[in-house]
Amino acid sequence: MITGGKSFVTAPPAFSNDAKKLLICTGNSVSIFSTSTALQITELEGHTAAVTSVIVVPATTPAGKILCYCWTASLDGTIRYWDFSVPESIKTIDIRFPIHSMVIPGLLGKLSGGNKKPLDLFAYVSAEAANKQKKEPTVSDGQVKKKQRNALGGQILKCNLTESHLVAGATLAETPKPEFITISPSGEYIGIQEKRKLRIWEVPGKDSERASYKKIRLHHTKSFTALAFHPTERIIAAGDTTGRILIWRGFGNRTFSAGVVMDEDERPGVREDDDADSCTTWHWHSAEVKILFFSADGAYLYSGGKEGVLVVWQLDTGKKKFLPRIGSTVFYFTSSPDPSLSSISCGDNRVHLLQMPSMEIMKSISGIKLPGSVPELIKGPCSNLVFDYAAGLVAIPSESYCIQVFSLFDNREITEVQVCERNHQPGDEVTVVLNLVSLSLDGSLMSTVETRLSEEGIGGLVSLKFWARGPQSKDFSLSTIVYEPHRDAGVSGFAFHPTRRMAVSSSTGGEFKIWVSNYKIQQRDQKFQNTGWTCHAIGSYKKKPMTAVAFSFDGSVLAVAAAMVITLWDPEKNVLVAVIGESLEPIVSLSFIGKSEYLVSASRGSSPQLSVWNMSKLSASWSYKLHTEAVACTHDDSFFAILALLPKSTKLEDSSESILHDVDGSILLFNVGDPVPVATWFVRKAKGGGLAFIHNNPGLSANDTSDGKPAQVLLAYINGDHEYVLFHPHGEQASKHAVTHRESHTELEDSGRYGYASIYGELPEYKLMEDETPKAPLVPSGRPWETIFSGSSHNLPPLPKLCSVFLESLLERRTTVVE
Amino acid sequence: MAEESDQQTTMPKSFPVKPKLKPTSRKSTTTPESKYWRSFKSPDPQNPKKLISSITSLSFSPAAPHDFAATHSATVSIFSAATLEHKSTLSAFTDTATSASYRSDGRLLAAGSYSGKIQVFKTRSILRHLRSHTRPVHFVKYPLADKLHLYSGGDDSIVKYWDVVTETVVSDLIGHKDYVRCGDGCPASDDMFVTGSYDHGIRVWDVRVSRASSVMEVNHGKPVEDVIYLPSGGLIATAGGNTVKIWDVIGGGRLVYSMESHNKTVTSICVGKVGREGGEENRILSVSLDGYMKVFDYSRFKITHSMRFPTALLSIAFSPDSSTRVIGSSNGVLYAGKRSVKENVGSEVAEETKKRALRPSYFRYFHRSQNEKPSEGDYLIMRKKKVKLTEHDKLLKKFRHKEALVSALRGKNPGSVVAVMEELVARKKLLKCVQNLETEEELGLLLGFLQRYMTVPRYAGLLIGFSKKVVEMRAEDVSASEALRVHIRNLKRAVEEEVRIQQSLQEIQGIISPLLRIAGRR
Repeated sequence: MITGGKSFVTAPPAFSNDAKKLLICTGNSVSIFSTSTALQITELEGHTAAVTSVIVVPATTPAGKILCYCWTASLDGTIRYWDFSVPESIKTIDIRFPIHSMVIPGLLGKLSGGNKKPLDLFAYVSAEAANKQKKEPTVSDGQVKKKQRNALGGQILKCNLTESHLVAGATLAETPKPEFITISPSGEYIGIQEKRKLRIWEVPGKDSERASYKKIRLHHTKSFTALAFHPTERIIAAGDTTGRILIWRGFGNRTFSAGVVMDEDERPGVREDDDADSCTTWHWHSAEVKILFFSADGAYLYSGGKEGVLVVWQLDTGKKKFLPRIGSTVFYFTSSPDPSLSSISCGDNRVHLLQMPSMEIMKSISGIKLPGSVPELIKGPCSNLVFDYAAGLVAIPSESYCIQVFSLFDNREITEVQVCERNHQPGDEVTVVLNLVSLSLDGSLMSTVETRLSEEGIGGLVSLKFWARGPQSKDFSLSTIVYEPHRDAGVSGFAFHPTRRMAVSSSTGGEFKIWVSNYKIQQRDQKFQNTGWTCHAIGSYKKKPMTAVAFSFDGSVLAVAAAMVITLWDPEKNVLVAVIGESLEPIVSLSFIGKSEYLVSASRGSSPQLSVWNMSKLSASWSYKLHTEAVACTHDDSFFAILALLPKSTKLEDSSESILHDVDGSILLFNVGDPVPVATWFVRKAKGGGLAFIHNNPGLSANDTSDGKPAQVLLAYINGDHEYVLFHPHGEQASKHAVTHRESHTELEDSGRYGYASIYGELPEYKLMEDETPKAPLVPSGRPWETIFSGSSHNLPPLPKLCSVFLESLLERRTTVVE
Repeated sequence: MAEESDQQTTMPKSFPVKPKLKPTSRKSTTTPESKYWRSFKSPDPQNPKKLISSITSLSFSPAAPHDFAATHSATVSIFSAATLEHKSTLSAFTDTATSASYRSDGRLLAAGSYSGKIQVFKTRSILRHLRSHTRPVHFVKYPLADKLHLYSGGDDSIVKYWDVVTETVVSDLIGHKDYVRCGDGCPASDDMFVTGSYDHGIRVWDVRVSRASSVMEVNHGKPVEDVIYLPSGGLIATAGGNTVKIWDVIGGGRLVYSMESHNKTVTSICVGKVGREGGEENRILSVSLDGYMKVFDYSRFKITHSMRFPTALLSIAFSPDSSTRVIGSSNGVLYAGKRSVKENVGSEVAEETKKRALRPSYFRYFHRSQNEKPSEGDYLIMRKKKVKLTEHDKLLKKFRHKEALVSALRGKNPGSVVAVMEELVARKKLLKCVQNLETEEELGLLLGFLQRYMTVPRYAGLLIGFSKKVVEMRAEDVSASEALRVHIRNLKRAVEEEVRIQQSLQEIQGIISPLLRIAGRR
């Protein structure tokens, strides 16, 4: 079983101490990527729920840079301590609350007292408080009253990591929902943003279980979205939902340092009796600020938001510099121990590694594209997922008018095709949509349909594009553009001929078109430039809207769904062969089942239907009333699988529903002749999901031949969040071993240099002089002073060397007597 | 390596707003050879040289500077090859002049005439009169190197071999049964030549062997209009009817190929050369009464270029230095084309300057080896292609939508205006832009554009709906201004015109569709 397609941007990543590795939280595990190759090296597996925080133990000494220890916290309620070079789990602390965020100030603080026994390490976790936990007796009298309220969902807890238990009674705060804890770079302060106020605590220098906390609150009229502490000074920056950045200077002068209280009047911008000296506001972002980050020296402030622009503010002057056109929302900014490297995590599931002072994107770690939002105006299919059966690839349309080709076996992006040459502004309303993508059976041809929405009826445009790629290359190149392939009607379905260069597109306007590519020209000239696609034939059936198309396995029959009925055509002569069936709702999906004589159709709507038709009898074989999200057919066998959405009513009838909570779909595997499913799996987030049979790669199944034919095929399921799983549909437990992981990209051990060394090169190793001078000219003779100084000056060994030899030669040598 | 470079491509990109692609024709006519043949350019293409009547023959002088002679009516005109200008006229003919032919050194010129007399000229003066033909002479030719003899053929169907000095016929070669209209000397031997006649026969003669009958005879099948030896001397090409045939003379008169691509009678053929000096390839150039000149590659048996002229063509000649190509037409127009040949004068000077060592006192020292070309094995690192942003692109990037639209309207390219409009539609800002068009001038620009391009089929889908919206939105502004009202009137006229066109198209469709239905039923 292979899983993958996890989001890289659910939690901030962390760099290792040598800045050669990047630790990214990916679902239940932490993936470690090499920063030099942007490929995955290894993975920390052990958590049973999503990992929410990863903290690398920083190196205190230069020698400690090779140490690879990290703490992770997860929604399964555990904190784990890892050695990620091996990688293995060293320690597990179970605190039983789902942890949404964790900080460990003790790692950042300077350890001053070396002679004392090492202090306990404390972590502050933002955990989800379940209802029954509320009854626990608490000592802290300040918090007792709040404990009574059951509505609170989040709390900030303190955990003793050395002794592996929660510190009793040390609940710093309770919030309506679990908040993200921000820690200052020096580890002195921690803070959370809670609606319209910031809550900041000072972490005691010598943290212990019974330490008390000084705290302040800062208020604002808008909800806060981001928070950052200055590394050295007492400055705090916070962003709000309107895009403003507020900077408080000298916060907590009264509370934390009991310093000189300034005059009440001379505190510009500070609200009421908030404890700060001044507050200034910057406003550039048009939408909410997602990240704020102070540079290590505190001179600059990085901010980013929904616009997909990273803004660098000079803190003293407020001057701005930009990294524009990132193309999606900026979620996190992480700096590394190497000052020339940092990373930003973006909304399109991508982590860019930035070359720092110039802010150039050096490398990108791309995860699977996340499903985008679709405007309601688009009718018909949207953003479908298509699979390359042979190579195990999936093509995913993304928001930035790209199609990402993603390898399911390798769990990484293969290539990206820019379908529409247009700049994507993340904040804009979506007006250009990639409707349809389809791949030919061998994966060498691709077609895309994009729709430009009209503005009050003007300027809508549908264009169909054909792409081709050479046998060697992995990138698709544009072959033909057809503007308005079906006049102004949208394209509802598209299918490639399984063997020939022929394709068919169906339109809601009541016609389908067969397209052919002039393949002969290509063969003669050996060029791809001349492979244009032209319309070969047009067909329609009683002016009914055509909703789905499919070719049979040998391409001899073309099935086109004309609303409720299925029409069968001879694609070569464009002749109607037969009409079958009558469903209650328009058919949205058609597919021939392998080489069998069966056709499966699915319709949605108020009375959904899944029907299997017998082609030889031209009649329905059997049918179900199921809302089918996706249908997948094998190419050789007579099996097919469907992804069905479970109706809301049946969801709760089962008593075992508590186990299967938020299950909303099921995968049913059928044999064509038999209406009883062969196997059933329940899945989550089935809405918008995809299903396909994937040929197990020959390389993988080499040791797998004993299982016979069925083992050659894997079933791939992608859920609505684009997380996927590959498994054997005829699966026994043993078959888990049949598919081996291939993700062992070895780390590229380049001699990466950074900091001083990257600019000036390595310092030459200082060695003693005697190593450098060759021994050869100094043949010991009886009277070396006669020879050692002879020769021209530039040939002579250095003076210290000569001197010792000379002096040595002056001394009388005592011959040792060997007994 | 490939993966790394692929990762690099995920950089932020910026796309300029470009017009939609137009369909391109699959046939591309710009092969290097057709480019070559088109490079023969007339100095004054609008007014080609007009002579009095149809040009019956053209011939180039074998010696530099390769002047050429054209025979028309009762004159022979001599043109300079360098300037293609008229140089001199020989008009001592009593009847129509035919078939001018230069001697191998280019000093003498022989020409026949309808009177049956052959005259040999030196510049203006007539040196010899060769009288023996009783009927019009259509073919007079000097051998390739021989300076003393001439061949001629006439409508009396006799081919004569002349000794020019004594003005006597060396031998009468009898064999043809009809008019002899053409012939050519063998490039390999001065004693052999070939003639073609209206009796469909082509005869190869050898003056050494037999004085009376031909060495070989082949039948073209049509009256032979022209015959030439191909430069190897082993092949001859004959033109007759609408075919050009190639015969193997050494192989006993075997037909090698028959080229049938002209629609009417091929009147003249000659040998042309393609390619640079050294690597030249020979082609057969043929002209026909259908007005086409065709270039035939007889090594691959393929037409490589074809060129159309407005009138029937009678004669063609190609200069020995392959710099000039002249075609004579039936109405007396001379289509002369000259190719600009690069001169090698400058190279010596350039070499001299190259040798001079560069010193830091000279500015080129600092530019040295900057335009070095990469050698074979070098690994090329391409500089990134710069994205060209036009003014409207820059304005769109700054979200100044109205300014972008106006700047595109000020430009001359309707495609880019429509592209900007489409981009604005995608941003849902087009109608806002129209609202914001302030001055009369800006609105006038838009209305003027709409009036011109609204009915162009490629843009109509967007523009017709858009014009309607514009007129609705800005009705008050339009009625307030006289200049805008003029635009609206024009717009109305364009709409009416379009409606008329649509109606007539529908009528045509109404006529055609039943026919198609009937055709489809069969």
